[in-house]
Amino acid sequence: MKEPSVSEQTIVHEVTLDCAPLSTREINQQLKALAAEGLQTINILNPAGRHNLAVGVTEPVKIQFQGPVGSYCGGLAENVNLEIFGACGWSLGENLMLGDILVHGHASSNAGASAHGGTIRILGNAGPRAGISLKGATLLVTGNVGYGAAFMMQQGCLIVCGNVGPNLADSIYDGSIFVGGAVDSLGADARFEPLSEADWNLLTRELAAVGLVAQDYDFKKVVCAKELYHFKAKDWAKWKDAY
Amino acid sequence: MCGIAGIIYRGSAKQRCLSLDLMKLLQPLESRGPDSCGVGLYGESMAFDQLKMILRTEEQVVLEDLWDWLLPFASGLEFKPVGQDSHSYRVVLWWQDPDYFDLGAFKRALAQNFPQIHLMSVGQQLEIYKEVGPVQGLIHKYGLEEFKGSHGIGHTRMATESVVDTYHSHPFTSGFDLSIVHNGQISNYYRLRSVLERRGMVFETDNDSEAIAHYLNDQFLQEKSLEEALHRLLKDLDGTYTFLVATEDKMALVRDKFAAKPAMIYESPEMVAIASEYHCLLNLEGFDSTAAIREPDAGEINIWSRQEFSLKRAREARKVVSNL
Repeated sequence: MKEPSVSEQTIVHEVTLDCAPLSTREINQQLKALAAEGLQTINILNPAGRHNLAVGVTEPVKIQFQGPVGSYCGGLAENVNLEIFGACGWSLGENLMLGDILVHGHASSNAGASAHGGTIRILGNAGPRAGISLKGATLLVTGNVGYGAAFMMQQGCLIVCGNVGPNLADSIYDGSIFVGGAVDSLGADARFEPLSEADWNLLTRELAAVGLVAQDYDFKKVVCAKELYHFKAKDWAKWKDAY
Repeated sequence: MCGIAGIIYRGSAKQRCLSLDLMKLLQPLESRGPDSCGVGLYGESMAFDQLKMILRTEEQVVLEDLWDWLLPFASGLEFKPVGQDSHSYRVVLWWQDPDYFDLGAFKRALAQNFPQIHLMSVGQQLEIYKEVGPVQGLIHKYGLEEFKGSHGIGHTRMATESVVDTYHSHPFTSGFDLSIVHNGQISNYYRLRSVLERRGMVFETDNDSEAIAHYLNDQFLQEKSLEEALHRLLKDLDGTYTFLVATEDKMALVRDKFAAKPAMIYESPEMVAIASEYHCLLNLEGFDSTAAIREPDAGEINIWSRQEFSLKRAREARKVVSNL
C-alpha cells in the first residue's frame, strides 16, 4: 500500500476522551498512551468527581477536565498542563514535579501538598492545609484558604489573594508566603516580613497570569523565623505549642 | 476510612423513597468501607402511645416466650419478622402506662432474659438495619426498597479498631430515636467511655464510635439541646471525626477541628444530602446541578430541622421516655 503523502495525512493534535465508560486505570493508561503518541491536547468529558485522574503523567501534554475531579488529580505528574473546569477534591497536584495546573473552581484540603515544582493556580478557595509541606512549587489561590496552610513548608511560594485561616505556616522551614487578605493567626516559628521590590515583581507576574493586579491587594509576607532550627531549652514553650 | 451519608427532605419531597436515595449515596462509598454497612431510617411517626423497636436475634428464639415476656410492658403488641433470615423483628408496643417507659430497665431486663436478642433501635420513627456486606444486599435483605421517611443516615465501614460484625457496624444508637454514623477515630475513647459508664451509660460494643451516641444521649438526659450537646462535644471529643447524628426532627453534621475526614453538603429545593465524597451526590436520582454544594469547614457544626414536623407530639414522647 502506498504511503500517504504529507498533504494527505491528517495530524491529530486534539482528542476527546469520555470517562463514563472507562475505569480510572483505563483513563490514566489512555492519557499516558495518547501523550506518548504526541497528542497536544486531551479533552476529558464526564470526570464526575473521580479520584486519581491524570496521576503520574510525565509528557508535556495539555489535559482539560470538563467538570469536577476528585482527590489527587495531577498527583506525581511532571511537565503536564492541566486545566480543570470545576471543583477539585483533596490533594490537588500532590507531589507535582513540574508543569501547570489551573482550576476554575474551589479545591478541597491539602491542595499542592508536597509539590516539588511547577505552578498550581486555583481560581477560587482552597480548604485546610493548602500547600502543606510545599517543596518548591508555586501555589496561587485567588480566594481564601483554610487553617494550617503551608504547614511544614520547605521551599517555594504560596500566594493567597483572600484570607487565610488559623495557624498559617506552622513549623515552616523555608519559602515565602504572600497573603492579600487577613491572616487569622500564624503558626509556630512563622513571622511577618516587609515586602521587597523583588517580591512585588514576583506578585505582579504571578497575578497577571490569572488577570489580577497585585497592587489591588494589601499583600503581607510570611517567612520562617528560624527560631526553632536548633533546640534551645528557653524556647520550650514554642516547641510545646508547635503541632 | 469509612463512608457516611445522610438525607433530610424538605416538605416538597415526601414522595421520594428514603431507602433508595440513601442507597444511591452509600453504594459509591463501599470503596471507603467494604466491611459492613448500615442505615438509620426515620419513617412515619407512630402514635404517641406507641413505640417501635427493631430486635435482632443471633439464635432462634421461641417467639411465644418473647411474646409472653414482652406483654407486661405493653397494653398491645404487634410482632412482625423483617428480613429474609427470620433473625429480626419489628415490634410495636402500646405502652401500658403512657406516662412512663423505663428504657434502661427494659434493656437490662431484655439482656437478662434474652441475652441472644439485641435491641437495634427504639423510638417512634427510627429503624436501624446493619449488616456485614454490601449496601444493596442490606436493602434487599430487609425489604427496605420502598421505605419512605423524612430523614435518614447511613454508613459503610472499614474497620480500624474493633471486630467486623453486625453489632460493631454503624449506625449506633443510645436512646430514643437517636442514631449516629461516624468516620474517624476517637483518641480519648477509653477515658470518655469510663466517664459515660460512671454516668450510667451501658456500652454494648467496643467500637469507639458508640461513645458518640452515648455522649449525646447523656447530654439529652441533662436537658441539653442538640445544639448545646454538639458544641460541648467538640471540646470533649478528641481525635478525628466527621459524623452525622439524627434525632426525631433533626440531622446534624459535625467535623472536627482538624477537618481530617471528608464530607460534602448538597442543598437543593428538595433535600439536603451529605456524603463523604462528591461523586456520590451525582448518583442521586434527579441530581440538581444548580444546587449548592459545599464542604464544611474545620470545627463546623451544621444542623438541619424537619420543616413540617410537629414538635409537640415529639416533646410529649420525649418527656415520657427520658426517664432512662
